[in-house]
Amino acid sequence: MAEQGEAGSGTLLALEAREVWKAFERTQALSGVSFALRPGEIHALVGANGAGKSTFSRIVSGHLPADRGEIRLFGAPARFASAREAISAGVTMVMQETSLAPDLSVLENIYLPEFGAAGRLSWRGLAARAGELLDQFGQRGHLPLGHPLRDLPASQRQMVEILKALALDAKVIIFDEPTASFSPNEVDRLFDVMRLLAQRGKALVFVSHRLEEIFEITDRITVFREGRVVADASPTAEMRPAELVRLMVGREIADIYARGVAGRGAQASGTPVLEVEHLASAPRVKDVSFSVAAGEILGLAGLVGAGRSEAVEALFGLRRIERGDIRLGGKPYRPRAPIDAVRAGVGFIPEDRRRQGLVQDFTVRENLLLAHLGRKRGFGLGYDEQRPAMERLLDELGLSPRILDDGILTLSGGMQQKVVLARWILLSPRLLILDEPTRGVDIGTRSTIYAMIRRLAQQGMAVLLVSSDFEEVIGVSDRIVVMSDGADVTSIPSRLVDVEKLAMFAAPRSSAEATHIVVEELVRRFGGVAYWIFLEGERLYCFDAVAAPGAPELGFARGSFPEIGEARIPETLRQRPQRFFAEREGASLLVPLRGHRGHDLGYVGLTLPAGGDLPDADAVRRIVLAGPAAAAPAPAAAGGR
Amino acid sequence: MATEIKTAPRRRSSALRRLLRGAQLELRMLALLALLSLGLSLISPYFFTLSNILNLMDQSVITGIVSIGQTFVILIAGIDLSVGSLTGATGIILGLSLASLPLPLAILAALVAGGFAGFVNGFIITKGRVAAFIVTLGMMSVGRSMAYVLSGANSISQLPESLGDLASSTVFGIPTNFVVLVVLYIAAWYYLTFTKGGRTIYAIGSNAEAARTAGLAVDFYSILVYVISGALSAVAAVFLAARILSIDPIAATGLELDTIAAVVIGGASLFGGRGTIIGTFIGVLIMVLIRNGLNLLNVNPYWQGTAIGSIIVAAVLLERFLSAREGLRRAGDEG
Repeated sequence: MAEQGEAGSGTLLALEAREVWKAFERTQALSGVSFALRPGEIHALVGANGAGKSTFSRIVSGHLPADRGEIRLFGAPARFASAREAISAGVTMVMQETSLAPDLSVLENIYLPEFGAAGRLSWRGLAARAGELLDQFGQRGHLPLGHPLRDLPASQRQMVEILKALALDAKVIIFDEPTASFSPNEVDRLFDVMRLLAQRGKALVFVSHRLEEIFEITDRITVFREGRVVADASPTAEMRPAELVRLMVGREIADIYARGVAGRGAQASGTPVLEVEHLASAPRVKDVSFSVAAGEILGLAGLVGAGRSEAVEALFGLRRIERGDIRLGGKPYRPRAPIDAVRAGVGFIPEDRRRQGLVQDFTVRENLLLAHLGRKRGFGLGYDEQRPAMERLLDELGLSPRILDDGILTLSGGMQQKVVLARWILLSPRLLILDEPTRGVDIGTRSTIYAMIRRLAQQGMAVLLVSSDFEEVIGVSDRIVVMSDGADVTSIPSRLVDVEKLAMFAAPRSSAEATHIVVEELVRRFGGVAYWIFLEGERLYCFDAVAAPGAPELGFARGSFPEIGEARIPETLRQRPQRFFAEREGASLLVPLRGHRGHDLGYVGLTLPAGGDLPDADAVRRIVLAGPAAAAPAPAAAGGR
Repeated sequence: MATEIKTAPRRRSSALRRLLRGAQLELRMLALLALLSLGLSLISPYFFTLSNILNLMDQSVITGIVSIGQTFVILIAGIDLSVGSLTGATGIILGLSLASLPLPLAILAALVAGGFAGFVNGFIITKGRVAAFIVTLGMMSVGRSMAYVLSGANSISQLPESLGDLASSTVFGIPTNFVVLVVLYIAAWYYLTFTKGGRTIYAIGSNAEAARTAGLAVDFYSILVYVISGALSAVAAVFLAARILSIDPIAATGLELDTIAAVVIGGASLFGGRGTIIGTFIGVLIMVLIRNGLNLLNVNPYWQGTAIGSIIVAAVLLERFLSAREGLRRAGDEG
């Protein structure tokens, strides 16, 4: 911390950019941008799409040359001709799995740059150094060094990118949208590492669209708009979210979800459009059931790996459906290819716009009419008959008809997404599936997309929204089905949940494992029924429950959220006594649960049949507080945090 | 119908704009073609004679027909190495059929054989997910081998005169075979530009995943392009046999390379999604012109391969350079 204090006094900036200009053929991307980064700080670089933050990051990290301007690294002028030069000077940009070799091991990837050096490589030496590196950031045990990178999830691959930068002694690390595909737990873990890096004096730049993350992790914020700096290194603590949004888009957006009370009542006619029962599609989707009604927006929430995207892809014919009883509009529905789904009246906005959404060589017009072309029978194109509808729709989405003949890649990410959305609206499907519709999309476009989704639902379309952004799911949908490990866990009206409770419902077995082991251990030792619940006002949320044979019936189960009055042990739930508390159904004890950062995780409870012997309350409490390590032989899956 | 009146002029101007922007490469190649012709007519007095021009037309027919199929295949990011040997094999099938069948049926037999071989190519590539290079390399070997087996390694000569009419007759003074070539090119251009199938082929080459997700019949058209390529090889075989009224099992050896070269010179990207049939036509003419010029200049035939090979590589290098510049501009646009 000593060196941080010294540098923090402002004598020496880690990175300083002055008056940087950059133009691409027709567009001026940066107009005299200045930026100052201190050692030991986490500095947010924020802006809507096209604001120039990616261009700036790429210039600083040597991926692009600047037209004009000065860049200084620890006071010395720096002008990088390539990313390689920037890296050897200590500036690294961590992108999503772009610079990694998937077939090499984790260890080889971390030290890949050294493979180019002369002389012999000492594997043992490398492994030892890697071990030290892992220890420093608390990653030992999380990253298998000998594993091929291909097998690792995205978050771990990103950790490898970071370690690779550290192995090269990076002093300035730029994180470009690092959390785009992360679950909340993975974000937490990344943030822990980022804080450690900052403590060790590294200077970090954090580029992100997610406001809540910016406010959680960064020290200062610089906002870009249209290639200029509109807020220069403002302390994060003094910035209000609404102000940040106003700075980014140039106007105030009070509530981007714009959920009017009136808009809500008018919809959900109740006629089910899609009914899914016991859908299975290997390997991720095991047993999923839900239904969506006309006029309803159903959110499908869950963490990465929960199988949400895979489930909706199966429903659109992109994956093989192995089992399941599915009806669309009351009729059996089992698409074997997307064309079956399209002809049955289902639209699908895929998760990965570049890979699954856009035909890069086509114009905006042909991209807009792509699904029309797919649905159309016969020989011709039938573009002209779509023209009136197309122009009306472009107008609604705030797109000019003049862009129709431009290449799709000349549009910003947000506009591209509007085109993909419009492609399906043009067909007026009865069910529209949106998989991560606002990933990498700026706030201004997001609010347009949300308004559009809401209007479509009001017109009677059934909407199925998949998102890993819990705020988005809660803000946009009427009802939420939470998925975890390939199965649906609960179906809950969105007004009854917040982000924290949704995260607990969505916890995958691997991270809820700790609690699950405890709950099982309680039942194994004492019998009865053990559960993990959260209490808020008069409502109970049950995340997990295990019952021994003949255990008391409590009126709630895993995934249910009754009012306390509906449960059979209302007094226990209201009074939360320190000792076993006897009611008609049995005697119960609740033990409060705390997270590793001290936040409230609800209660683990045990209810035993009435009239039996009661164990010592302290013995129960000890088991709960000791966690899984003290219980049954815990498999390696336990989080270890 | 007021809307139509209102939108018509705007559409025309934008179509023109699009044409100019989209046809940059074709225009460049057309300029190269004109330059070549000019140079050759200055160097050789024989170049601009009627007999040499008829000769050029005649020489462009075989490569030209097969290059249409090759364009379709390359547009979906595939490649067809079997076209040369399929031309040879279907030529032998045509010759053998003519012994017992009337001309139209014999031609049909050759077309069906070519189309079937193409179907086998496309089916294995698409459904079996094997690289097009490997599958068509195998078919190239099988095709040539079948040509030898069926013919007993002898050429079939003295084919009926009625077949020869295809090569020797003229329509308004233009050789019939060249007229057929032009008609085929117009049909292919229309198909690729104005039909669902044509646009689907472009979409597959540009991003097959997105095309599938939009409900396009990706597998069907991925197979169809190979069927078209195989069938057009048979059409080429018909004109090849008609020229000298005989067919040899080694006929059209190396044709696959000439057609790939023509398509690439015409501006198509081997990564799919980019290229036009007009570009291919210009590419074919450039290939034929270069060969013709090298002959007129009495260049040693052994050196001609070096010249042609260098031109192919230079064309691909140019494409790389241009698309790299394009890529840089695109990357910048997102910033």
